[in-house]
Amino acid sequence: MANDTKKRYGFVIDISRCIDCRACMVACSVENTVPYNHTRIWVHDQGVKGEWPDLSRHFVPYNCMHCENPPCTEVCVSGATYKNKDNGLVLVDQDACIGCGFCVEACPYEARYIDEVRGVVDKCTGCFQRVEIGQMPACVQTCVGGSRLFGDFNDPESIVSKALKSAASVIRLDAKRPDGKSTEPNIYYVNAPAEMVNLITTDKFGQMEAKVPETSEYTISEELWKKLLIPGLGLATVAAFGVQAVFFTKQLIQGEKEFEE
Amino acid sequence: MTKTISRRDFLKLGGMVAGAAALGSFIPPQVAKAARDAGLIDPNGDGYIPTMCEMCVWRCGVLAKVKDGKVVKLEGNPEHPNSRGKLCARGQSGLMNTYDPDRVLHPLIRVGKRGEGKFRQASWEEALDLVAKNMLDIKQKYGPEAMLFSSTHNISQPVFENLLYGFGSPNYGTQRSLCFNAMIVANLMTYGMEEPARDYGNIKYLILTGRNLTEAISTSETSALMDLIATGAKVVYIDPRFTKTASKADEWLPIKPGTDSAFHLAMINVIINEGLYNQSFVDAFTTGFDQLSAAVTQYTPAWAEKITGISADTITRIAHEFAAAGSSALAHNGWRTSNFLNSFQTQRAITILNAIMGNWGSTLHPAAGEGAGGLGSIPQPPYPRVTAPRLDGVPWKYPFVPLKLGIFQEMRDGALKGDPYQPHGWLISRQNPVLDLPDRQKTLELFGKLDFIATIGIIMNDTEWFSDVVLPEASYLERYDPLNPVGDKAFLRQPVIDPQGEAKSALWIFKELGTRLGIGDFFAYADEKDYINQQLKPLGVNVDQIAMHGYAKFPVGEDKSEFTWNTPSGKIEIYSATLEKGGFKPLPEWQAPPELKTDEFYLITGKVGQHTQFGTHNNKLLHKYEDAPRIWMHPDAASKRGIKDWDTVEVTSEVGKITVSVHVTASIRPDCVYMNQGYGHLSKGLRTAYGVGSSSSVLHVTYTDPVSGSQALSQTFVTVKKV
Amino acid sequence: MSAHQTVPVAEQKRLRNKMYKKHNVANIITHWFNVLSWLMLLPTGIAIIASPRLGITPLWMQEWFRNMFGGTANLITFHYSVGLVWMFILLFNVFVGFRKYFVPFAFHRMLLDKDDIQWMMVKPLQMLGFKKDAPLPAQDAYNAGQKIYSYFVVLGTLGIMVSGPVMVLKNLFPPIVKQIAQPVHFLSVFMIVAWLFIHIYMGAIFPEEKEAFYSMFSGKVSAWYAKMHHAKWYWEKVQEEMDWEDEVNEKIKAESHANPESAATD
Repeated sequence: MANDTKKRYGFVIDISRCIDCRACMVACSVENTVPYNHTRIWVHDQGVKGEWPDLSRHFVPYNCMHCENPPCTEVCVSGATYKNKDNGLVLVDQDACIGCGFCVEACPYEARYIDEVRGVVDKCTGCFQRVEIGQMPACVQTCVGGSRLFGDFNDPESIVSKALKSAASVIRLDAKRPDGKSTEPNIYYVNAPAEMVNLITTDKFGQMEAKVPETSEYTISEELWKKLLIPGLGLATVAAFGVQAVFFTKQLIQGEKEFEE
Repeated sequence: MTKTISRRDFLKLGGMVAGAAALGSFIPPQVAKAARDAGLIDPNGDGYIPTMCEMCVWRCGVLAKVKDGKVVKLEGNPEHPNSRGKLCARGQSGLMNTYDPDRVLHPLIRVGKRGEGKFRQASWEEALDLVAKNMLDIKQKYGPEAMLFSSTHNISQPVFENLLYGFGSPNYGTQRSLCFNAMIVANLMTYGMEEPARDYGNIKYLILTGRNLTEAISTSETSALMDLIATGAKVVYIDPRFTKTASKADEWLPIKPGTDSAFHLAMINVIINEGLYNQSFVDAFTTGFDQLSAAVTQYTPAWAEKITGISADTITRIAHEFAAAGSSALAHNGWRTSNFLNSFQTQRAITILNAIMGNWGSTLHPAAGEGAGGLGSIPQPPYPRVTAPRLDGVPWKYPFVPLKLGIFQEMRDGALKGDPYQPHGWLISRQNPVLDLPDRQKTLELFGKLDFIATIGIIMNDTEWFSDVVLPEASYLERYDPLNPVGDKAFLRQPVIDPQGEAKSALWIFKELGTRLGIGDFFAYADEKDYINQQLKPLGVNVDQIAMHGYAKFPVGEDKSEFTWNTPSGKIEIYSATLEKGGFKPLPEWQAPPELKTDEFYLITGKVGQHTQFGTHNNKLLHKYEDAPRIWMHPDAASKRGIKDWDTVEVTSEVGKITVSVHVTASIRPDCVYMNQGYGHLSKGLRTAYGVGSSSSVLHVTYTDPVSGSQALSQTFVTVKKV
Repeated sequence: MSAHQTVPVAEQKRLRNKMYKKHNVANIITHWFNVLSWLMLLPTGIAIIASPRLGITPLWMQEWFRNMFGGTANLITFHYSVGLVWMFILLFNVFVGFRKYFVPFAFHRMLLDKDDIQWMMVKPLQMLGFKKDAPLPAQDAYNAGQKIYSYFVVLGTLGIMVSGPVMVLKNLFPPIVKQIAQPVHFLSVFMIVAWLFIHIYMGAIFPEEKEAFYSMFSGKVSAWYAKMHHAKWYWEKVQEEMDWEDEVNEKIKAESHANPESAATD
């Protein structure tokens, strides 16, 4: 495993079973007191496809992918958002987070949002407050269609490991980070239709729009940092030390006497 | 990193939960004493309390998580067969129903004009006295039948019926005729029971006629359907709309509205013609097969193709596949194929289709039984004699409609016409007739004519808005209700929190009202717990003892008696002599529905997984995740009228007109338009729902099926034009 | 510098023993308070930067600091708590407590003039060993380099003081403001830190400036030092003294005219 975390929590989602009932979204909103104008999880409606009457339609449940190589934790200046070493969940320490939103922009899955009231970033936490007392995440527990599964991929006997083994087809919505690495999301979609290669045609609240997971880009801070500050700092440090080195050397050579008064 | 996510203060965030803060000067809700006594709550007031949901009729078992005296999360109770540990979106949103800022928490007495929504707060004494006084005045002046009573069927129904019958009125409106009267009556005629149970574990071939299970969610049955599909069983789904269920089914048949019976009759035709039916079962347990055989010879697949729009090859093939599954096949009755006047025939055809496959005992079973035999009942005197006929024409006009179902829309029409007499008052409980009855204008007109209207409800819904007195009922998380038997258990609804404000349980309200009406003997219980204890007596436990798990088990019965169907012949009646005696057709037959005129559409209405009927639209959690309510139209039909997606259109029927936004989609037949029901609320007291969407009830024309009393909701035709 | 050769030894001695007051208490307190604060703020601030993509702080430093403070949140809390204290005390000192000193101080000692510009063009080259014979204009209390650095310090400090609280008061500002605050904060710090090395070297390490270092405690420098490095200021001081002498003489003369007996003592 890329991360060697003790557990590798993730989801297996059976596309053929999601009926877009949205019980998962309501359950999550209640369990995690999600603000009214935001949602941590959602279902992407692929839209009605085909020619009447040969129609098809699929629903793709969605939340934070708890990636193996999260693009979001890369950009957090303070490390307030991090991948937990024990369970692999990508979390936000909201006491450290200042809500600047770089991570929100960096996520190709749009899984994060800023809670304006508290000024911090929020996202799916894998309901670890439930997981650690032996319950399933709220969305998984209540999934009426039986689409959402959650468990430890490092455990070959877990429900998700078994589901992967027995699935007819498995896809993962990989995205590329600026450093070239793939995000390696920890949500595996099984029994997806053949045409579901890439993602979604509706946004989180069901309005139709075309979307694919965009590769995350450098933030303003990083652009400035990489192009201006770091070279500048390097140059200035070299200059400052260089000048002093010369001075110091002169001092050594010519002896302190000249400067004594 | 050592730190993890910080704890949150539940009350602070986003105005999500009104809680104590929005209730003004109320004391913070305390956790129900019973739960504390039962040891369900720790000294901090935290724990899980088992109870039952009431966000729809499925009544899933719920485990309500309580923290600091507030409900913070609802989970499905794994021990309840209807939930099995899951709750749908509405179930999960239930706490927002309880903490809705628009709850009515005090008795209200109207001060302005009816419909202005101006009320003053009153004490329970004053409000109950006023209601009783008005009701008794009406009884004295015009007779008890001048008082209408209506309630959506729910667990406290038997107690409500005591009010009705104890008072002496025959006029009883339930929502049943807007839903499944056709199905119930057809089953009664054929099987002698209201609704056999279905066993998904045995199904290998399922035909769903309507019954959009993934959107008209009944938690355990919806889950069972998805499990069934995963086993590889074939599901055929018949609906003019490509619903979410259609997207999961193996085959979708976009049938022409009103022609379902033609499809099923053709199925029967093929199966009988080719000898694919279960001969031994038919011979042993049914009557009238030969007459059926003769009657269906005309209903060939070719004939059905012209009517339904489904090809003869398809019908034949499906009949073959269905028959090949034998007793593992099931034709699902659905709730509400009651959409056309001929829907009773559809239901009869479906029940008979099942009968000739001999799937009784395999995919169909006797209903699990109300278990009423196992529970104690509260003693009451016999009901007074009622001499006045019912305004809804049952049974004198509609002999086959069970009295306890009634025909709601006919009661409204009869009341409006004053035929055969004029009613003067209406007591409504847990129901929204202003929005759910077809032809809303007529309902509002009736509201204008009555002298006195009182409503028992939890929120300022449309009917409350137009009432004279509103009596605040405690929400389902705040009250005891009578026990609900499911399978081998009697499930308890118990308060998870104490009622907010002055809200009270229905049991208390009915008793208080009953006492003031002079019929207190019909409410022979001291309080809610006493009522339940009387029910539990035969089981040898009391309500405190069962509070921990939320149910009492019935003793395992050893009923080895020979099962017979509760029909005159004791068998499954394919040919119903009963119907014949009543002047109706004894066998299912094709009755052609009216045809569309040019430019008209069939108006179809239906359900979504995020709402229930007419009562949940103010729930902010559901409002957050609902689709914008728009009318569906096929792209061909839309382009012919210059209509684009999201345009506003005017929809006109023979009784009403609305404006609504359009959703252009290929998911519907070009000759149909579709609306979600339940929008277009009139009550400004519903601050989230008011102004959202438009009401299909404004458009619906009242058509009553003469056999079952079903309201033919889809027989309304409309024209649509861009505004 | 061959002032040793041109000035007589006796005069040198006199000048070395004569002290002038260069820094008042306000300057001294504020300066060292600033140093102390920066000793706490700079390492913790650098330790906070944990972004793999920025890659400024070595991993061991990130972890050591977080272990010491018990997590990222506590580290940040410490940093901005000290920062806020630093900010308020500094601003108080400058604008309220020592207002009478700092405002004229700023106008008098911080503005560049023609001599400064010329000095800036010559001195750095001289330090590197070139243009030894070019004339070096006299400098004021602070030389041009010091003045320019003070601009960096003021601008940088303002930048820190604006961008810091923006990140602390996280629910008062929209995300874009907080995003811009980060590079502004780093830039401001960088502006000061980049020349800080020179400031420290020049003030504390470079032998010729030993007196300057001690003056940040005593407040005083010798006249010799002043004449060598800050000649303009030296002559100002001398002029002050002469003026003062004249004043005293005038007074005595005036008194002796008024009182002939006591005038004989002069």
